[in-house]
Amino acid sequence: MPEREGTPFELEIPAKAKYVGLARLLAGSIARRMHFSEESIDDLKLAISEVCTNAIVHTGNGEGEKPPILVRYLAGKGFITVEVKDQGPGFDPSCILDREREGLISKGFGIPLIKSLVDVFECDSHPQAGTTVTITKFLKPEKDEL
Amino acid sequence: MDNNEREGAGLEVKVESVGEFSLIGLSGEVDVYSAPKLRETIKTLVDDGKFNIIVDLEKVAFLDSTGLGVLVGGLKRVKHHDGELGIICNQEKILRIFRITGLTKVFPIYRSREELLNEVKEA
Repeated sequence: MPEREGTPFELEIPAKAKYVGLARLLAGSIARRMHFSEESIDDLKLAISEVCTNAIVHTGNGEGEKPPILVRYLAGKGFITVEVKDQGPGFDPSCILDREREGLISKGFGIPLIKSLVDVFECDSHPQAGTTVTITKFLKPEKDEL
Repeated sequence: MDNNEREGAGLEVKVESVGEFSLIGLSGEVDVYSAPKLRETIKTLVDDGKFNIIVDLEKVAFLDSTGLGVLVGGLKRVKHHDGELGIICNQEKILRIFRITGLTKVFPIYRSREELLNEVKEA
């Protein structure tokens, strides 16, 4: 998680599809208390849902005993950062960029969606060492404040 | 379909016939947990020989890429039989997801059931 000051929250969820909604709900609640616009809250909820879905799918979606997913929220001045850490098989993150360049991300809409919904997207993954995806959404001034 | 109304997993699915279409009405959230329910509903309709399907998203509070993937999969299934899969949606937050992913060019999108019915009458 980036070195920024804020109030941290942590949620540990089993690596099962039915818990994605919980991570989404908490993100929405935090963002609403921070006075994010409804559109930004929807963007954040969708982005977190996508990140958690990827984490759960890549961890095995509840098949057998799988390690949990750790979701860490950092609510700071003018931003919210969410870090989703799984203990799945991991991968070489450069393959995301390679696949994007080659236009090969046609099977899934998840990664392009996440990137279009948040201000910062970071992915740290290593084979056999799990994946950590961090996303940040900045609080934008209301239109009448511009 | 025997099971016209399904509940649970945060998603309610209702199927009805509207003219030549099978209309799937969704209510709730479509995500990685609930999307298989929609996938199964579409698959059952196609297996029953119903290849013109409309999915009504007006009462959907949340839709993610898993839901989009199911709709695209459904479209491929019906296209294989020269059918069509359209969407009813007038919610900006849902339409935005279709725009971001370029799917507004892939699915026929109707703003309401009335718009669908009017287009059918005119065709």
